[in-house]
Amino acid sequence: MRRFKIFVALAVSLAVAGCSAGPRPGTGAASGPPSAGASPVAGGRLVYGLSADAAGFNPVTDQFAAQTYSMVSPIVESLVGIGADGEWKANLAESLTPNTDSDEWTIKIRPGIKFSNGDALDAEVVKANLEAQKASPLTATVFGPVKSVTVADPLTVKVSLSQAWVAFPNYLVSQVGMMVPRASLADPKKASREPVGTGPFVFKEYTAGSRMVVARNPAYWRTGLPYLDEIEFRILPDSQTRAQTLEAGGIDAMGTTRDDDITKFGAMKDAYGVRRVAGMGAPEYTFMLNTAKPPFDDIRVRKALAHATDREAFATTLRAGLTEVADGPWSKDSKWYVPGADYPAFDLAKATALIKEVEAEKGPISFTVLSVPDPNTMQGIELAQDMWRKAGADVSIKQVDQADLVNRAIVGDYEVSISVGFTSADPDGEYIRLHQSYAQDLGKISLNATRLKDTELSNALDSGRSNPQEETRKQAYAVVQQRLRELVPYIFIDHMTTGSVVYKSKVRGIGEHKLPDGSPGVPLTGTPTPYHPFTFVWLSPS
Amino acid sequence: MILRKVIRLLVVLGVVTFLSYVMLNLLPGDPTVQILGMSATEEAREQLRQEMGLNSPLFVRYADWLGGVVTGDLGTSYITDIPVLEALVDRLPVTLELLVVAQVISLALAVPLAVAAARRAGGAIDQALTTLSFGMLSTPVFVLGVVLILVFAVHLRMLPATGWTPISVDPYWNFLSVLLPSITLAVGQLAVYSRLLRTDLIATLQEDYITLARARGLSPRRILWRHALRPSAISLITAIGLNLGGLIGGAVIIETLFGLPGIGRLIVDSIFARDYLTVQGGVVLISVGYVLVNFAVDLVYAAVDPRIRRA
Repeated sequence: MRRFKIFVALAVSLAVAGCSAGPRPGTGAASGPPSAGASPVAGGRLVYGLSADAAGFNPVTDQFAAQTYSMVSPIVESLVGIGADGEWKANLAESLTPNTDSDEWTIKIRPGIKFSNGDALDAEVVKANLEAQKASPLTATVFGPVKSVTVADPLTVKVSLSQAWVAFPNYLVSQVGMMVPRASLADPKKASREPVGTGPFVFKEYTAGSRMVVARNPAYWRTGLPYLDEIEFRILPDSQTRAQTLEAGGIDAMGTTRDDDITKFGAMKDAYGVRRVAGMGAPEYTFMLNTAKPPFDDIRVRKALAHATDREAFATTLRAGLTEVADGPWSKDSKWYVPGADYPAFDLAKATALIKEVEAEKGPISFTVLSVPDPNTMQGIELAQDMWRKAGADVSIKQVDQADLVNRAIVGDYEVSISVGFTSADPDGEYIRLHQSYAQDLGKISLNATRLKDTELSNALDSGRSNPQEETRKQAYAVVQQRLRELVPYIFIDHMTTGSVVYKSKVRGIGEHKLPDGSPGVPLTGTPTPYHPFTFVWLSPS
Repeated sequence: MILRKVIRLLVVLGVVTFLSYVMLNLLPGDPTVQILGMSATEEAREQLRQEMGLNSPLFVRYADWLGGVVTGDLGTSYITDIPVLEALVDRLPVTLELLVVAQVISLALAVPLAVAAARRAGGAIDQALTTLSFGMLSTPVFVLGVVLILVFAVHLRMLPATGWTPISVDPYWNFLSVLLPSITLAVGQLAVYSRLLRTDLIATLQEDYITLARARGLSPRRILWRHALRPSAISLITAIGLNLGGLIGGAVIIETLFGLPGIGRLIVDSIFARDYLTVQGGVVLISVGYVLVNFAVDLVYAAVDPRIRRA
């Protein structure tokens, strides 16, 4: 009888697996059971599956990935938040006001906020945090323009900058703007293991490689929040078994990037919800070209590759039609996006002609594409290889691990590399990645990894950074997009809106986010798997 | 004998740790990129390299590390800032439990299966075991693990799909959480052990003293379990010791698949993070464990076969 049960179960499961390409969830950012209208219920424990562990929880000393933000942001909060419209909004700060030249920012701190250890959040602590970030080798580059931080009164600090920087508050959303108490600054090793902050939850326990548990902060400064009593973040690196654990009831929600999960769980609308990343929060899938090295120092080869790339084929074959093709770093629903017919369209004949033209002058076009040894990534690279070969290029693939890939990218030891990024809420967040002042010669560390040196592009980035008028900034970033399309340092493929959170129907409030002023916050952000606040998440008893 | 084995252990450790140290350092990729990210300046990286001693020659670094090991200091992780020994001690119980339970399951099933197959060589049970063994041997653990989760966790809801509950927290849930990973790991071993023991049992059953036992009217069951099993177990015991390396390799996959915080996953994560000291610490631990287990196997030989003890 037992054997029969197992056989039946196996047969059913294989049938389910075979039918996974069922109806797709809506193209909107969320599908599944609605939470609107239902009243939140306090209490309960949420078990949340993450794809990787954090290297540490100290925003000053540890590099934060998306999963780190998931684990730390319930405990440690930032001075600034991002609204659903993509604009920065005060969070722990009550206001941030620039002077007329935007080279000095006055940060007024919300009164009455305390860390969970009882310390008050005041100007002295904020100053100490910002100075620690300025001194940290991890974040010093980002805070490069910060000259000094001074205390104006017990709840006000002034940040002096070496240049006008209108998007400065946007940087305070990430780990550089996260506030920890003095004790954490004094003992960074302890802060790395046991984070303390002003957030809706407090640290309870952590087992490296296994789980982290946070408990409700009864003294949270936002009255009535959070709803959950406890969250357990469970580290489940294998994406397939993570999804199986959700099905088996071992976890209540999980982050994923697999289109299989979106289609499968999205089809079971009564049992599961799927919330997908959208807008500026979604990363762009690109191929990064080393413009300082042959053959990509020749713009004709870069354009040939872009013409040979059928972006629609990527979206339909690799992402089950869930994503939209990209022609630049920002998606169409962003206010910074400008349409442009100047991005090289798929045209194999044009690509072949350009390759032949260059080969007649310089000999055969041959290059290697770097990839991480992950099956999903390899599928994309092999698809591109096939397309580029059809245009006449000799393309080989080299698999390296993530650490090696990043290292090769920044020292210029590559020709083409896979790159997923451009997730900043404000276009200025891409300044370091695109500006010519960050492009170094081959062999030197270059934070602008394509090494493209273009004065027009860089001037536009400077203009966007320093001009407070939105229209002027829009014009500047229109130039940025135009130059990226003309010069093709990146081959843009699609906006990766497949980063999702899948949750059981009893879990409500995933992606719901209200900032302290009552305005809606950005629901999901980050790459590869997105993260979101847990303050408004609750469990439905029914 | 013990002194000779200790010397052998030290030589093995020296060779293994040196080779792994060299190989790790040959890996492309800069640990400072992992620690500081892409945005850090070259000056900041250089300062960190100095602090970590990465600019010293390879042999000097190895000698420094070895000096620390002799005094019980395996260093501190570059990435997490946690002492390597502490990280290993935290993870060791998970891997040990996984390996022990997997061995127990595989032996508990392999021995009776092998005895049943040897009792009638070429019979139905023997043929079924042969077919089953080839199936078990040819199924990769990552496929088997996914199928077992699908059946026992997703559909039958009998066992947790993933996750780990320490025995100190809840022994019952600990048992449930270790069961599926251990079965996944045990299946391959079960095939090897049962095939090995079956072959040796069949050979032993041809011995003169077994014929004599039969002539004395002893029951086949008594002959198999009391007279044939013990002398046939030498190859099996050898295989248990030698298979430890393979089991640890399998544990790396199993720990990732089932989300278990064991030594295998720690080492793999540390390799990707270029956390050289943690990897080295893991290598030392595995090497010592491997040599000690095989040392124990030598002692068990003597207990099983008195001729070895007398020699």
